[in-house]
Amino acid sequence: MSSLRKPAPGPLFAVLAVALVGVVLVSICFGSEWLGPAVVLRGAAHVAGLGESLGHPLQTIVELRLWRALTAVGVGAALGLSGGLIQGMFRNGLASPSLLGVTGGAGLGAACAILLIGGWAPRGVLEAATGPGGLLIPIFGFVGALGTVGLVALLASTHGRLSVTTLLLVGIAVNMCIAGIFAAIQSLSLVDWDVSRAIMAWTFGTLEDRSAVHAETVWGGLLAAAAVVPFVGHELDLFKGGEEDASALGVSVGRVKVLCLVGAALSASAAVAVAGQIAFVGLVVPHLVRLGCTSRHSALLPLCTVTGALFLLGCDLLQRVLLGEGVLQPGVMMSLVGGPFFIFLLIRHRRELGAW
Amino acid sequence: MVGALEARGLVFEYAGDDAGPVRALDGVDLRVADGELLVVIGPNGSGKSTLLRCLGGLARPRAGMVALRGRELGAYAGRGRAREIAMVPQYLPALPDVLVAEFVMGGRYAHLGRWSGPAAVDRRAVDLALAAADVSTLRQRLMTELSGGQRQRVLVARALAQEARVFLVDEPTASLDPEHQIHVFQLISRTVAQARAAVVVTHDLNLASQFATRLALMDGGRLVAEGPVGEVLRREVLEPVYGSALHFGTLRQADGSRRPFVLPWAGGQFEDDSPST
Repeated sequence: MSSLRKPAPGPLFAVLAVALVGVVLVSICFGSEWLGPAVVLRGAAHVAGLGESLGHPLQTIVELRLWRALTAVGVGAALGLSGGLIQGMFRNGLASPSLLGVTGGAGLGAACAILLIGGWAPRGVLEAATGPGGLLIPIFGFVGALGTVGLVALLASTHGRLSVTTLLLVGIAVNMCIAGIFAAIQSLSLVDWDVSRAIMAWTFGTLEDRSAVHAETVWGGLLAAAAVVPFVGHELDLFKGGEEDASALGVSVGRVKVLCLVGAALSASAAVAVAGQIAFVGLVVPHLVRLGCTSRHSALLPLCTVTGALFLLGCDLLQRVLLGEGVLQPGVMMSLVGGPFFIFLLIRHRRELGAW
Repeated sequence: MVGALEARGLVFEYAGDDAGPVRALDGVDLRVADGELLVVIGPNGSGKSTLLRCLGGLARPRAGMVALRGRELGAYAGRGRAREIAMVPQYLPALPDVLVAEFVMGGRYAHLGRWSGPAAVDRRAVDLALAAADVSTLRQRLMTELSGGQRQRVLVARALAQEARVFLVDEPTASLDPEHQIHVFQLISRTVAQARAAVVVTHDLNLASQFATRLALMDGGRLVAEGPVGEVLRREVLEPVYGSALHFGTLRQADGSRRPFVLPWAGGQFEDDSPST
């Protein structure tokens, strides 16, 4: 278990980053029709403003697959990073962004958007929930997620101070309320088959038909979260001895907690807003990094980012290859793969995890 | 002597229950100067640890103030305060996956730049601190692999690496065998000799007698006695606070000076017939 036998974070990050680029490329090549890497690179270069278009329909196909892959990378990275930030802040490996109401809030926001759309365009509601057109749903999802975290943080703070234990309890309570409202919406919308189906489809998550806007949204959230890493990485390591100990060493504990919360909320909200509920990435990825490499946050957080991206895109590619396109939604797939995988990890590393 | 840290009229209250807040400190005045090792003694719940937290800026008093080198403690930012005051906590959670050297480097946080890692000066401070605390050989060990005594010395080493001029130490010998108890106090004593100030909370009256330059006795959130060791470790002062199961004697030291010792011994006639007294 000595950390000395584990790979060094720097080289590991480089290897994972190269692997990620490879998986992105293969993910774009692979589809109903295999495209050669050269074609994909030429098409991608055109999107970046370099070189000529591949022409219709090839350029459109490459672009669709490119945005899908970039969205998946952004979503995986954002969820992995927010998981690392939240677990570091809570000093608890069971914490995840959904604990703060990110997933529940996004679901509620998306359901509201679906109800709105269903009011005036009942036929198009399913397409809006899962297809490229419905920007209203990601926007509502993002606002719902961010608003819920804000509410949790507001209720949990006393005199401007955030207690981590209170945050946890308030998060659980607010999640319960939101789950109740969400269930009520689902139950009331059962009479409208289109709306009810659209809400259910959203909860499974989707990476299909993602556009540049989706990719930009999630990458925006990811970059905002990445920006806080230099200000919390070393500090979270000093949190391991408790907040008071960190404060005695000179850490501005309150500022670190707020930065972690804002970074995690922005990135996770952006991720669930564009791709729906995708379980386990935020919870499992930080554990993978801790068990496989390091628990030092200045290295763990960047590693969570690249591992999360690789994990989501890799699993997605694998199920597309094995099962075919569009058979399993990413949220369902991550639960099916992530759950057993997490149990396997827990059994194998029971002793190490017990002490974390 | 320069006043390093000074508390005036400190009042601290915990939230408590329906009966209202619980007053842990009730108007405490205290002053420690460079070169002084002030030991704070007192029964459980007398407010010693709360006093230390207030002195270190970790708890905000309801009334009164703490001044660090003449300036109000609140005026110092987190890092600025940590460059002046180092704390040795009584308890830290288990720290799996943390090497001793990394842990001690944590003491350098207040000196590090945001965008640069530890520099040569930081590594040197860690080396010196490890050597001073006699734990250099443990630097590549995991914190979870240490014995109680080793762990306590590593905690002190981290505070030394902080290169602060005021040390606040909470019960450093609570779980140590006699040899390590003396080691830790010698270490603090040597540090204080380098023009630094220390406030040490302990239950061990005899270690206090041996190493303190001054003693403060707390009871019920108040400072009930303060002064040289010989003035505080007396039956008239201690019995009202600790009860009557204490026996008093004196030991002559190598330099000829005499130091009191206090032995908790319930009931019976106590007679000290050891040749050293």
